[in-house]
Amino acid sequence: MSEESKGSDGSEALFSTWMKTANDFWGSLIKTWPVFSPSLEKVPSTEKDDQAQGKTEDAEESLQKFWQIFFPFLENPVLAEAMSKGIPSLPETVAQVARVAFEGHANLQKQWLDRMGRTETPPEAAPKAGDGEQEPFKTWMAFYEKEFRKYFTMPPLGLTRFYQERLAQAMDQFNLYQAALNDFFHLLYQPLEKSNQGLQEKLTTLAEEGKAPEKFQDYYHLWLNILEGHYQTLFKSTEFTKILAETLQATENFMEAKQAILQDLMQLLPVPTHKDMEELYRELYLLKKKVSELEKKLADSQKEKKAPRKATRSPKGDGSHESG
Amino acid sequence: MNPAKTPADLILSKLAEETEKTQKRFGQDHPVLFGPLDTTIASTPYEVVYAEDRVKLKHYQSIRETRFSTPLLVVYALINRETMLDLQPGRSVVQSFLEAGLDLYMVDWGYPRRKDKFLTIDDHVNGYLDHMVDFIRQRLNVPQINLMGICMGGTFCVMYSALHPEKIKNLITTVTPTNFDTDKGLLHVWFRDLDVDRMVDTFGNIPGDLMNYGFLLLNPARLMIDKYVGFYENIDNRAFVENFIRMEKWIFDSPDVPGETFRQFIKDCYQNNLLIQNKMELDGRLVDLKKITMPLLNFYGQFDHLVPSEACDRLSREVGSQDTEDICLQTGHIGIYVSSKSQEQFAPKIIRWLQERDGPGTVETGVSRKVRKEKMKVHPTI
Repeated sequence: MSEESKGSDGSEALFSTWMKTANDFWGSLIKTWPVFSPSLEKVPSTEKDDQAQGKTEDAEESLQKFWQIFFPFLENPVLAEAMSKGIPSLPETVAQVARVAFEGHANLQKQWLDRMGRTETPPEAAPKAGDGEQEPFKTWMAFYEKEFRKYFTMPPLGLTRFYQERLAQAMDQFNLYQAALNDFFHLLYQPLEKSNQGLQEKLTTLAEEGKAPEKFQDYYHLWLNILEGHYQTLFKSTEFTKILAETLQATENFMEAKQAILQDLMQLLPVPTHKDMEELYRELYLLKKKVSELEKKLADSQKEKKAPRKATRSPKGDGSHESG
Repeated sequence: MNPAKTPADLILSKLAEETEKTQKRFGQDHPVLFGPLDTTIASTPYEVVYAEDRVKLKHYQSIRETRFSTPLLVVYALINRETMLDLQPGRSVVQSFLEAGLDLYMVDWGYPRRKDKFLTIDDHVNGYLDHMVDFIRQRLNVPQINLMGICMGGTFCVMYSALHPEKIKNLITTVTPTNFDTDKGLLHVWFRDLDVDRMVDTFGNIPGDLMNYGFLLLNPARLMIDKYVGFYENIDNRAFVENFIRMEKWIFDSPDVPGETFRQFIKDCYQNNLLIQNKMELDGRLVDLKKITMPLLNFYGQFDHLVPSEACDRLSREVGSQDTEDICLQTGHIGIYVSSKSQEQFAPKIIRWLQERDGPGTVETGVSRKVRKEKMKVHPTI
């Protein structure tokens, strides 16, 4: 038996189960439809509305009838097959499309699971000697870049392609942001680990010299000083500045991607978007600056014309002034 | 013969003892922590005498007759709040100044919002600050005022004094960075390669919480661990707990920094070090430090991890004034203002220095006091 036919057999059993579940769900839903229908008829309406509603009701009735026939027919796959053979046109096509779609979906899931199974041994990201404790994060990033990222960066198609693209970018940037945060916090954790080791070594030396501290406070201060030293060394290192910059960049990338989605959502609502407000604030700022300049010019020219005044600005009683 | 205990044994036995004690302490009631606490900050009465957009000018109510002919305007940084100068009774720079008879004004920069994103350093220095200086001059009918700046506020005061020297009688800078070409402070190292354009374009205003997180990172062992261990050890000490909470209230009260101001400060100062080289421009006007001809008193902290002494001590050599004084206190960035030892030295020194220069015609004395350095010992922990 070929791999393909094996998959086909397996998926047929799954298909039957899925059909049964779906049938139960939709079947019970269909039974509720007549309950709602009478209430709709009571709503007062215009002639035009009546026509439109009539068409909708016709469509609903037709669909209802179709599903009322189709679902019981699908309950038993054997019967479904017999029925599909008996009615050669539509039901067979529908069943075939559903089967192909289901198999495609199962195949996609299988691919994803295969990829997940490879997490432990991505050859390109295999640990190398001397890579240090950041290795799990590097491995994850390499794996993500190679196996998953392409799903978020592949070009979307169709009318909503730009919306899909922004959503995919946000998801991708979120994953990268999380990875960068993990990397950053792991780096911050390293001095803690090193200070524990350092304390052990220091205490061994002190114990050998018979100078082991008596009070717990002394141990604590010893550890704290070692920790402080490790942090200062870390913070001055190029590795830290590099990872700090990368973390900031990942944060900024994610924020931008998130903002782009929010912009899409906000545009659907009757409220100003972030971009609208940004433009407005900029215009307001420039206008206030211009007004301030003109005020100053006016005051200077008045000064030149008249005798020097006591004040260039006449403060109000409460001292309030609203120019930028 | 008993085998020698290993370090692990020693630690574990001590840890067991301490754990028992700790559990007992946790089990106890903590009447101080759960009882009423006075953690009010900035309680000295003041009146807002001028307001422009988000910015306010505070005038503190005198508690005795004014003994100075020239008022003092204090300019805080855009990071954190000016309430630090009036954190608690008995350790308030504001109260020390008022008790000495100073006529005291202070800038409250407020909380920048999204609409303030476009405000530049020029808008703060030649806009808000200049308007407030003019307001005080007109209000009191005086040609000049004294100006005191703190941290970034001090940098603004240096720029202002260079651009408007005729309006400033005496300049006091405290923990004020003007020379950014140093590796001593971590901020100087981290900011050097920061992609500030990307940061401002993304964030708009720079969130105060993000800035605060950065400050905590400067010394996580002390600021995130030891500080709270100390709090726990003193949990039943009312005065300690109250002052600790006051400090917490101040330190985490962090307004956002206007985006364009942050961009310019990082680029022109931290990355290109333009100010000290007389190359910095505000809206096309060159900031020439040689135009700072008024007396200058320059304070900084020897153990300041935010603004190291190297970032501060070059100023007095670069200005045009012949009357300059550098004072290096053996303390940290905040200790200058809040430590008890500092209270005995910092504010009294300013008061004496201003008294000596308060009379008319003291600006051009012809007496050179340039680069007189003084060191004072102050508690070094903060």
